[in-house]
Amino acid sequence: MASSIPAPDTCPEFKRRKRRITDDSLASSHSHQRNQRIKRWRTQREQHFYSSKLIQALHRSRRTSAKEVHETAYRVLAVLARGTTRWSRAILTARKMTKHKRAKVPSNTRWRRPAINGEKRKTPVVQKKLKALGRLVPGCRKLSFTNLLEETSDYIAALEMQVRAMTAITELLAGGGPQPPADRLASNVNS
Amino acid sequence: MSSRRSRSRQSSGSRITDDQIIDLVSKLQQLIPELRGRRSDKVSASKVLQETCNYIRNLHRQVDGLSDRLSQLLASTDTDSDQAAVIRSLLME
Repeated sequence: MASSIPAPDTCPEFKRRKRRITDDSLASSHSHQRNQRIKRWRTQREQHFYSSKLIQALHRSRRTSAKEVHETAYRVLAVLARGTTRWSRAILTARKMTKHKRAKVPSNTRWRRPAINGEKRKTPVVQKKLKALGRLVPGCRKLSFTNLLEETSDYIAALEMQVRAMTAITELLAGGGPQPPADRLASNVNS
Repeated sequence: MSSRRSRSRQSSGSRITDDQIIDLVSKLQQLIPELRGRRSDKVSASKVLQETCNYIRNLHRQVDGLSDRLSQLLASTDTDSDQAAVIRSLLME
């Protein structure tokens, strides 16, 4: 919807005001997008999507060690995030690097400033816990407070879905599920 | 990159206020099952962060266990028909 602003280029104040409004609306649309993304993790549809992708990947690879399953589960999860979050990008990047013998990145704790975020009034206890949280979420060691909490929210929602999906798959594979061809499964079970 | 003080291109603007911190922490609190019902003024930021870390570690552990279990199941059901049945039933819902 193009608003007809009369000759914006000639009036510098107009430009400034317009830019500020755009920044605010951008901010709220960002947060809206983030909430939408988080909600999506909680839908059945996303869970089914993940489940079928995971099973396909495992089926294809034919290598079913626990480590393989583990890596595949996280990789498929990260792919599903569609590059929108830092943690998902970090997982995929780490995967690529591991393939080529990931070099140990020297940690720069020595010269890192003590107050990472630079915000005032964060007690050392909170700082320490923030750091611990940053270590748990992939690729988020150096994020600001806000970004870290955003990534955390999305990461938690994704992990919860992953657990739900893998639990459902496990139950189906183990119990034969409530499906009609239960006889067929029973007769195929190796003793 | 991270040496730039909290000035980000995103919504947080120039400096994070205490109110923003409180707001974010309470949002995080709602995600943690342990702390969901409690009033946000009764739970300290430190506790929220601690419980968040615990919760994530918990979820990681669950995924590890499920990976183990799944790998065992996949190894034992070597017939394709079982897996096909699983996929089918998943897609049918």
